[in-house]
Amino acid sequence: MSNATSARPKPFLQPEYCKGCLRCIEACPRDCITPGDEINPLTGLRPVALHLDNCNGCSLCIQACPEPYGLRRQAARPCVGDDFELEDPAKLFGERQVANHSAGDVPDTFVPLPACDPMILKGTYAAAIGALLAGCRHVFGYPITPSTEGAELMAKILPKLNGSFVQAVSEVAAVNMMYGAGGAGVPCLTFTSSPGFSLMLEGISYMIGAEVPGVFINIMRGGPGLGNIGPEQADIKLACRGLGHGNTHALVLAPSTPQEMLELTREAFELSFLYRNPVVILGDGYLGQMTGIVKLPATLRRPGLPAWAVWGDRAHRHNLICSIALEETDLEQRNRHLNIKYAEISAHEQRSDLYRCEDAEMLVVACNTPARMAKGAVEAARAHGVKAGLFRPITLWPFPIDALLPVLPTVRQLIVVEASPGQLEDEMRLALSHAGIAPPPIDHVRRFGGLLPQQSEILAKILNYQEVLS
Amino acid sequence: MSVFYEQFNRHSHGEGLKGHSTHYCPGCGHGLVHRDLAEAIDGLGIQDRTVLISPVGCAVFAHYYFDVGNSQAAHGRAPAVALGHKLANPEAVVISYQGDGDLASIGLAETISIAQMGLPLTVIFVNNAIYGMTGGQLAPTSLMGQRTATSPEGRGREMGRPLKMAELIAQLDGPVYVERVALYDAKQRVKARKAIRKALQFQVEGRGYAFVEVLAECPTHLKLSPPETEEWVKTQMEPVFPLGVKKDLTVDPWFKRGAPSFEPEAVLGLSGADPLGEQRPATPWPPHLHANDIAIKLAGAGGDGAQTAALLLTRAAIAEGYDATHIPSYGPESRGGTSYADVHIAEGEVLNPAAPEPHVLLAFNAPSLAKFAPQVAEGGVILYDSTIVKDPTGLPPGRRIIPIPFTQIAADLGRPMVKNIVALGAMQAVVNVLPAGSILDTLHQVLKDKPALLPLNDSAFAAGQQAAEALHATA
Ligand code: SF4
Ligand code: SF4
Ligand code: SF4
Repeated sequence: MSNATSARPKPFLQPEYCKGCLRCIEACPRDCITPGDEINPLTGLRPVALHLDNCNGCSLCIQACPEPYGLRRQAARPCVGDDFELEDPAKLFGERQVANHSAGDVPDTFVPLPACDPMILKGTYAAAIGALLAGCRHVFGYPITPSTEGAELMAKILPKLNGSFVQAVSEVAAVNMMYGAGGAGVPCLTFTSSPGFSLMLEGISYMIGAEVPGVFINIMRGGPGLGNIGPEQADIKLACRGLGHGNTHALVLAPSTPQEMLELTREAFELSFLYRNPVVILGDGYLGQMTGIVKLPATLRRPGLPAWAVWGDRAHRHNLICSIALEETDLEQRNRHLNIKYAEISAHEQRSDLYRCEDAEMLVVACNTPARMAKGAVEAARAHGVKAGLFRPITLWPFPIDALLPVLPTVRQLIVVEASPGQLEDEMRLALSHAGIAPPPIDHVRRFGGLLPQQSEILAKILNYQEVLS
Repeated sequence: MSVFYEQFNRHSHGEGLKGHSTHYCPGCGHGLVHRDLAEAIDGLGIQDRTVLISPVGCAVFAHYYFDVGNSQAAHGRAPAVALGHKLANPEAVVISYQGDGDLASIGLAETISIAQMGLPLTVIFVNNAIYGMTGGQLAPTSLMGQRTATSPEGRGREMGRPLKMAELIAQLDGPVYVERVALYDAKQRVKARKAIRKALQFQVEGRGYAFVEVLAECPTHLKLSPPETEEWVKTQMEPVFPLGVKKDLTVDPWFKRGAPSFEPEAVLGLSGADPLGEQRPATPWPPHLHANDIAIKLAGAGGDGAQTAALLLTRAAIAEGYDATHIPSYGPESRGGTSYADVHIAEGEVLNPAAPEPHVLLAFNAPSLAKFAPQVAEGGVILYDSTIVKDPTGLPPGRRIIPIPFTQIAADLGRPMVKNIVALGAMQAVVNVLPAGSILDTLHQVLKDKPALLPLNDSAFAAGQQAAEALHATA
């Protein structure tokens, strides 16, 4: 640096950018700055006054000024690092390891997969492999039974694919790592189970507010509290109505076979990025542990990088991931934007599976593993000559009301089967109510505490109504 | 171009003075830390690689000012968010900028665990000994006797003593560089600037985690003028929070990661998928137990191998072209206690994978036999280990009861462990659900990496078959 006093530029100050804090006064060894005595009409503050006859341009006052546009060197940009020589970045950093995307929006590509034998997988493993095929290379989690095995498989595989599995200090940390990685635009995942999901809800609210994608696999277990590790479905309420504070919703998918664990997990990533929103997959403890046949898809997704990502490069530098909007009108605007998104999801993403519903008089409604017991019961009821059918919601939010309504005209009795105190039934009733439909009578078969409704109980209920109604 | 935006458009849409003024109070230390950070980013030439994580606290709006990639985190979670960014893009220079409530109170678990992980990240900790944003409450770093909104009589012993984060972080093994600096005079400001730059450099060069604690001024909540606050930091804070380098290791650059792989072969291989092989020629469905869906329960003690046998059956059935499912009992109940498995084999689709009324029960011990035998469907089959269970009582009528000494047969072969394979052989001979060749093929497939075990397992299967056939012949 030059030390020719005369060559060093003196400070200047636009009075309206001075907050009158006086920190510069003490910093000046030549007493060039004095407290101002006039209130600036624009700010209502008292800017300092500069008397630069004695000034040697030492810049100590500039370094004491907390305001970026406060004291500045004349004709200089704010905040110049005058002590440092710029180093050649290439020399300093070596070759780049990761592509520096020049374009903002890099689309996904799909690579064909060679044909494979069907695999024989338990539900959690099937979900993990679905995620790998969806291009997920970042998994954050905290061990909790009965979801941990999926995470364990990822911990084994991901390092070999230059991916990351992080066992976080808690579920709270894990969801916030997802906020970071998802905010950087990469597909990420967690495996958790009910108590852990509760802990993640705050973070999910932030992700929804900041529009960060990410996939949450919640293998539901018995509650409330520590409960037990048996299968339950009592987080439907949380996933559909309680994703943390504020105006939140996320697609909630409910697989019922290991095959669906793979397919829906895979699809969850695409939906999550399509809508820039988290997606929740609800399984039950039984499904997580259940081994079955799983056929692999024809392609593997190589994720691109969305234009909105905070990737840390020039093309994405202007981006911000953020859920705070201080001004009420801004926040209202954001909520309206989210509401439009929720409406789009409701309109386009309802999914369901209908089994022998064409002429059903007894319509069983169930999801996850209980839907399989229900399917067995429907089949058995048909063998008794009862016109029974199964309506299986695959999306719990949005509830697939559009597929349910056309089935209802023949239905004389609805029977909701679930391992929860009516949380699935509540979703159905709410959807019916919004649709303005007075439904047929609704009854239920419910089990709790780690027990699932059994085929025999469901069948008995169906046969009982058949008798009553005929 | 500068690291600060030319206009602060995120600050009230950049209108009026807010386009060039910060939201900080006059004399606030945050502005100076921002300046140091901007200078360091500029000086290192990393503006196009930097991601800044703003916290909850007065610096919640740091993204108003820094023209870098920005993310705003939940209270206390900035290091977790930073880690997510770092792993997503290891080339990014990620800065977690936090205040005392954020870093040392609500986010303490994240702070410590991520420091201990030691990945190259830069944490800037602005310690002003008080909560700013929420209005002047007690901070974990407030001084003894300090009056705040929630310690109106001054911080007392029962509120704990101030938390010395730089020392705490320095004693962890993860970080490579920890320093505490201050801003109260020109000399300290020079040191602060150097420390912040150095902390970034450690990350840029992939050397590790760096932590800089800055003793900063909050004139508003100390209810002092800015110069008085500088004095307070110097005379009151510094004695409690001694300045200086707490840790400075010489570490070679180590953090380098390749780009994630999306190679189909690698993904499939690691997932355990096998290339499409030949389908076994379909055998006709065995209708003698059920028209289209057979339920089998295998039950025993923890080490009896019921789950392994169940999985073998499931695999064999799927290889045969059927649908099949396996559900294990799991958790505490399977550790040492009873371990049971439900298997379904269906000609079409397994509707209900549970087996509340199995067609076949394979019981390895007395409790399993007592528990599940009464559930076996009318006309079903009960096989049990007669080495272990002697003269069982209360078995239901109308079921075929087959006692076979699984354990004895396995012991005679020299390996009691293979009693589950003996049992499969016996079950095969009695119920004949799948062709014997199908189960053996699957067994060979599963043991393909341990060929030495094959002869033993083959003999075990055959011995089980023979024992069951012999029993049948004498019956
Ligand atoms: S540049 Fe140096 S001498 Fe001039 S006003 Fe600032 S502190 Fe005083
Ligand atoms: S330090 Fe900056 S803001 Fe404070 S009085 Fe001086 S010029 Fe004004
Ligand atoms: S409250 Fe304190 S820390 Fe917050 S901006 Fe004001 S002076 Fe700074």
